[in-house]
Order: sequence, then structure tokens, then C-alpha cells
Amino acid sequence: MTAITIEGVARTFGTVHAVDNVSIAVRDGEFFTLLGPSGCGKTTLLRMVAGFCELDTGRILFGEQRIDTLPPHKRNTGMVFQNYAVFPNLTVGGNVAYGLRARSVPSHETRERVARTLKLVQLDGFAERWPHQLSGGQLQRVAIARAIVIEPHVLLLDEPLSNLDAKLRVEMRGEIRRLQKLLGITVLYVTHDQEEALAISDRVAVMRAGHVEQIASPREVYDRPATPFVASFVGTTNLLNGVIRAREGESAEVAVAGRTLRLNGVRGSAGDKVVLSARPEALRLLAPGEAAPPRCVTLTGTLGEVEYLGPVTRFHVTLAGGTALQLMALMPPAVSGQVTVAFDPQRVVVLGGPT
Amino acid sequence: MRAFLGRNVFPLTIFTIATVFLGLFFLWPVLKVFGASLLDASGRHFTLANYTSVLSNRFFLNGLTNSLGIAAAAAVCTVLIGVPFAFCLARLPIGAKAVLLALAALPLVLPSFVSAYALVLLFGRSGIVTGALRSLGIPFESIYGATGIVVVYTLTLYPYIVLPVTAAFKSIDVSVEEAAQNLGASRTRTLRTVTLPLVLPSILAGALLVFIEALENFGVPFVLAEDRPILSVEAYKLFVGETTDNPASAGVLGMLLIVCTVMALLVQRGLLARRNFATGARRAAPLIDVSPALRRVGATYCWLVVAAALVPFVAVVVISLMPFSGPVLHTGLSIGNFAQLFERGYRPLTNTLMLATLAACGATLIGVPIGYLITRHRSRLAAAIDIVATSPFAVAGTVLGIGLVMAFSSGFLILTGTWLIMVLAYMVRKLPFSVRSAGAILHQIDPSLEEASINLGVPPALTFARITVPLMLGGIVGGFVLTFVTVASELSSTIVLYSGPWTTMTVAMFQALEGTSAGVAAAAATVLIICTILPVALVYRLLRRHELSML
Repeated sequence: MTAITIEGVARTFGTVHAVDNVSIAVRDGEFFTLLGPSGCGKTTLLRMVAGFCELDTGRILFGEQRIDTLPPHKRNTGMVFQNYAVFPNLTVGGNVAYGLRARSVPSHETRERVARTLKLVQLDGFAERWPHQLSGGQLQRVAIARAIVIEPHVLLLDEPLSNLDAKLRVEMRGEIRRLQKLLGITVLYVTHDQEEALAISDRVAVMRAGHVEQIASPREVYDRPATPFVASFVGTTNLLNGVIRAREGESAEVAVAGRTLRLNGVRGSAGDKVVLSARPEALRLLAPGEAAPPRCVTLTGTLGEVEYLGPVTRFHVTLAGGTALQLMALMPPAVSGQVTVAFDPQRVVVLGGPT
Repeated sequence: MRAFLGRNVFPLTIFTIATVFLGLFFLWPVLKVFGASLLDASGRHFTLANYTSVLSNRFFLNGLTNSLGIAAAAAVCTVLIGVPFAFCLARLPIGAKAVLLALAALPLVLPSFVSAYALVLLFGRSGIVTGALRSLGIPFESIYGATGIVVVYTLTLYPYIVLPVTAAFKSIDVSVEEAAQNLGASRTRTLRTVTLPLVLPSILAGALLVFIEALENFGVPFVLAEDRPILSVEAYKLFVGETTDNPASAGVLGMLLIVCTVMALLVQRGLLARRNFATGARRAAPLIDVSPALRRVGATYCWLVVAAALVPFVAVVVISLMPFSGPVLHTGLSIGNFAQLFERGYRPLTNTLMLATLAACGATLIGVPIGYLITRHRSRLAAAIDIVATSPFAVAGTVLGIGLVMAFSSGFLILTGTWLIMVLAYMVRKLPFSVRSAGAILHQIDPSLEEASINLGVPPALTFARITVPLMLGGIVGGFVLTFVTVASELSSTIVLYSGPWTTMTVAMFQALEGTSAGVAAAAATVLIICTILPVALVYRLLRRHELSML
């Protein structure tokens, strides 16, 4: 149960800045997720904490202790690998006991802790089985049991669910979260799946090209993305280019898609270009003759493709100026041809310069 | 620096051991040979005279062209025989493929000069078949000379083509072929324009192995060349000195052999440079539906090739059980040849078993960690070790033997005449195989297994012993046995390095060949065949095709 401090860490492979001056402070007992597309440096960062990748600069601490100078086998981290990495030459019990034997835990205690941990991951009675007799989900549980039985300072998970089918993935992520809360352990979790990250994390660091774009709670990352990249990577969004016309204290008038909106939280001065992010579910299609709700702004455009997705329906609308928008609605109104789109300016997020 | 060392003790230890071993027992001897080729008769002054005298000598120039011509012919013939064989095995619906493949791989572990000797017994001047043909009035010269040597190489080295090319034919992504047919190419056109170009890298790789093996082989030309000069044999004769020993000229021939090998390697690299096709086939390419007639033709062809390659060995075993009086063979059954072979004790047999065991242990103990280092630690050091550890393959056994004698007959470490120098030569020669085979097994073991073990608190060296080695065990045992059997039938460095008490079975056979006791030679050949087939048969299930293909 330890806080992780990552300070100014960097690593270059050839000419690629895999991790570029990253600083993150993970709190004690926190479920912290590194989220980003493949090649963003999230796995490299995790492997730096585990000790499988050296740092060019910077340092990493568990609590007050600096650990980036320790060899990996002395860091006391529990790591769960993407492909499970369950030892095929050992039984389930042998796998779980492996780290305890390395720590010279007495055999009666080893037996007791292995049994307790297998029960925790719902594999009691599996100790004598061989890995090749297990399913993917069961192997994943063995890998988790093996990592937590040693009571590590931190639990490191490297895309642990990516080899499981969609349904099992949702089930297992709930279970990982349950275990983490039960044990109160600090977790550093790597994934490229934004839904997974939002569902289980206390906080998320969104990474791109070796650096951190935003560190915040899942809700804040989704509702208040810090950069256009975060806005478009986490969930889907409509990014619109605008120009600041005038500003008055906190609020500003921004020209976008042929309208002028009064928006709060705008940085920059008159004449600056900005990017606006509007989530598809923040936009509404008005039924013919329906009046716009109070405070809402309306835009007109042509309805293009309509995608039926089951619980929701997605509409593609092209505005008069040629800007393409996506909208999401639970109950689709019967519309076609020229349509009116309404939205509340309060739900539009203003981001920095243009993309 | 301390942190770096602390975290890399295990790879650095392997690196140090590898460097010392290869430096002392491979690089230094080769440098000695190179040095000898550049020194005058007094052994003190630099000169190029040795090169000019050898290269202006018609006899040695003939030797060079003979060696190169025979090696090239062998490479072409094995490709012509092996590629159709591999295609039948990989893509045609013929029966008993596992048996065919096992039999096709067999010549790799059998001593090739035994096959050469069998051909002499059958087709030599007083050979059984020669006699039969003559009595029927069919004129038949004999198989001595370049033709005979190429025939033996073709029959003993074709597995070098069959094994990799079969694998390549199987790994072709069938959708590429389907695309060609979908675009209107006929089946034969697809084969010519898509399939064959895709397996070309494997064909070239196999052909290079055949070329190098044929170039460095000592036993086959010794049996069949008679007085035609062949580089590997002439180097030995010059060095051991039937007339006067001449280390300088022997050195020049050794360097010529090395240069030829390196040139062949460069040619192959050049041909392959722009042909790196990775086809990501997820399943083996399916069999091609052909008419029953064509299928029978394919099966017959495969069985004929396998039989032609193995008949000589069977013939030797049969002949060894027949009574001889001098060189003349009589019908009947007798163990007289074996009695004569072991007349003066079983020392050659026990020597062979002991030396092969020691060399296999040594090559495994050094080769597996080096293979591990090369596969798991991608660094410049590892790349350098990779090149050095696999280059003994390019140095002829006679040349390495000569170098070892030059390096360790005086100075701080005197080894000539001991069993140790023979074991060291074998270890160096078989190291490329154990390194590559260990690397190939490791490629199939996910590195995250080792990381998981280290992460759970087990240091790298202990992780290697507890996780990696057990997972590699099947492959290590297979590699060990293959090293053992190839050492047991090794002749080219043995012939330079052996001394009286350390006579091996191969030397015993060699001596019987030099004399006139054909029966003893056949008996020795039979013992060698048993020494190689038995261990391979015992562990056959542990052997994987890629290991055989790397011998």
C-alpha cells in the first residue's frame, strides 16, 4: 500500500521519445489508469515502474523510497501481463506459490496464503490443475492471484483484459476493481480501452506520443477534456473551429459555424482561434415544429446517414457551411432532409488552439 | 555504472565466458593460420610469397576450381532434388509424410564419408555393381572423381534443402495464391510467379549450407578424389606433411577456404537483400487437390530419393557382415570384420563415445546461455557475439584443427596430443548449432514468463534456471543428442588433432581405408551408423524439424 511518485521520467529509443518527461503522483490505495493509443508510451512507463525498462532521466519512488535504481526482482511489485505469463511448467498452486518461495515464506504459511488467495479470485480447488487445462478467464485469475499473494507495494496491470472476449472483459474488470477495494492496494493499470478506463479508475492519465495530456477523474476527463486529443480519444466528440470575437471578463463571444456563442472559461483574447468540443449526446435534433429549449442555440443542416446502434441512434448532419456533426439520441424523431440541431452552450467545452 | 553492472551481471557473465572461449579457441587459432600464411620459412618475416606461390601453382589452382565447382554443383543438384521433394511433402496429398520426413532428415546425422565409402564398395573399380555390370558386358568406369563426389553430396546434403523449404511451402499464406488464381493465373503460373518466389529465400539459405558443407568436407573427397586436388584435403596433406610439412602453404589454403565461404555468404545475402517476404500465415497452407496419377508420381519420387540416399548405408551394414579376404568380398555371413576391428581393444569406440559426450555437454553448457543472450538481450554486444558464435560454421574443420595445433603446441597452454584439444575443436565447431537451436526454442517462449518470475522476486540467473531451462528442456536434450551424433561422425578436425591413444571410430575407419582392409572399414562404418542412429531414434520425438535443419 504505497503512493507512487514518477518524476520527470524520460526514455528515448533511437529517435523516438517513448516517454517524454512524464511526472505522475499516484496516491496510496488509488486505482490509477494510464490510457492512450498504442505507441503512446503507457506500457513503457508501466515497465519502468516494474524495472523492465531503464530510465534515461528522472526517478520513481514508492512512498519515500527511490526504486528506479533497484533491480526488478527487488522492487516488490505484482505485475499482471497482457498474455497472463502463467508458468506452463508449474501447477496453478505452484504458480501462485512461486513468489512466496522466492521470499522464503515458510511452507505452511505459503500453503495457507495460496489457498486464501485462490479463494479470493474464485479459483478454490484449482491448485492442482495445470495451466493448459484452464480457460482464458481462469488463467487471468491465476495471474492476478500470483501477483497479489506476495502483498506487493503496488499492483501493475498491463492491458490484462485485452485477450478476453467482450463479455468476460466487463465481468473481469468489475472483479479487479472489487479486489483492489478489498485489499486497499495501489494499482497502476494500462489500457487503450477508454470505456474500461472510465469504468474502473479513480483517476486517469491520458497519454499521447510519450507525454501526459491530462490527469483527472474519469468524469472530468470526459466532461472537461483538457485538449482536443483527450476530447476525441475519450468517447467521440464534435470538434469545431472558432474565433474569439470579443471578451468580457470570464466570458467571451466566439464565432463558430456561422453563429456567435457566449461561452464561459475561454482563454485568449479577441482574434484568437479556439477549438470547441460538443459531445454527440449534448446535441439534439428538433422534431418538425418543435421549439428550441430555453438557452439553447440552434443550427440548421442536412441529415445524412442514420446509424441504428441498438440502445441509441447516431445521426450525421452536415451544416450549411460544410461542417459535419454527429448526434446521438435515445428516441429518434422522424425527420429527414433539412433539420435543426439544438444545443446548450454550457455543455460545449472550449479547448486551446486549432487541431 | 555500478547500477548498470548490478542489473546486468547475468548477461555480462555469459558475454565474458563466450568472449574468452571463442577468442581463445576459435579466433586465435584462425588468426594463427592467417599469420602462418603471411610469414616466410623462418617464421619471422612478413611475406606475400606464400600466396603468390600457391596461386601460381597449377595443382593448387586446380584444387581451388575443383572445390568451388564441386560445391556449386552439389548446391544446384540438391536444389533440383530437394525442392520438388519439399513441394510434394508440403502440398501434395501423399501418405506416410512423417516417416518420409524422418527418413529424409536421416542423412544429416549419418557420416557422409560412410556413404562415399559405400559407393566405392558398390561402384568402385572392384565394386559389386561394377563387377556385375561388366559381367553383363556393360562398360562402366567407376565413380571416382568429381561426379562421384557430387553424387555423394547430393544424396547426403539434400535434407539441408528439404527441411527449410518444406517449412517455407507450408508457411505460405494461401490467400496470396488464391489471389493470383482469382486474378486469372493458372495453377502452374501461380506456382511459378507466386509460390516459388516466396520460398526462394529458404532455397537460397539451404543452398548456402550445402555449398559450405561441401566445401569444407574432408572425408568424402578423401575417399573419392584419388589424386585430384581438393582444398580441404590438400590443406591437411600439406600440414601433416606426407613429404615435408608446410604450415605456410596449408595456411594459404585454409584462408582460401574461408574466403570462398565468406564470398558465398555475401552472394546469398546480396540475393536475399531485397527479398524479405514475411507472409503471416495463420495456418499451414492446404494440400493441393491433384489427380491420383500425379499423386502416385509424387509419392514414388519421394520414396525413390529417400531410398537412394539410404541404400548406401544399408549396403555398408550388409557388407560389413560378409567375409572379406583382403579387398575381396565373399558371400556368406561373418562377424570377422568386427572381430578384426576390435582386435586391439574397444578404445576407438569408447573414445568416440566419451569425446562426443564431453563435447555435447560443453557445447550445450556454453551454447544455450549464448543463445539466450542473443535472443533476449538485443544489444550491440549480443549482435557481435552472435556473429562470432555462428562463424565457426564458415571455417573448415581441417583449418580449425590446423589453427588449434599452431596455437596450442607451444606457449602458455600446451594442448596438442590431448583429448581436450579434440573436445575444444568439437565444441567450437558445434557451437553455432547449439546457439541457434537454443535461440529458436527461446523464440517460442514468451519473454513475459521470465519477467513474471523476476517481478515475483527471483533474480535473473535463478529465473533462467527455474523457468527458462525447464521450458527449453525438450529442445536442449534434442540439441544435445544432435551435437553428440554429429561429433561422433566428425572427421575433418579429428584427423588433424587426434593422437594414438585418442583414436576415434572415424579415425579407425580412415586408417582402414588407407590400408586395404575393406572389411574393417565397413565394420567401423557400421559401428558409426549405430552410434548415430540409436541416440537419434531414442529422442526422435524431442527433435523438431527446425533443429535438424540447423545442423
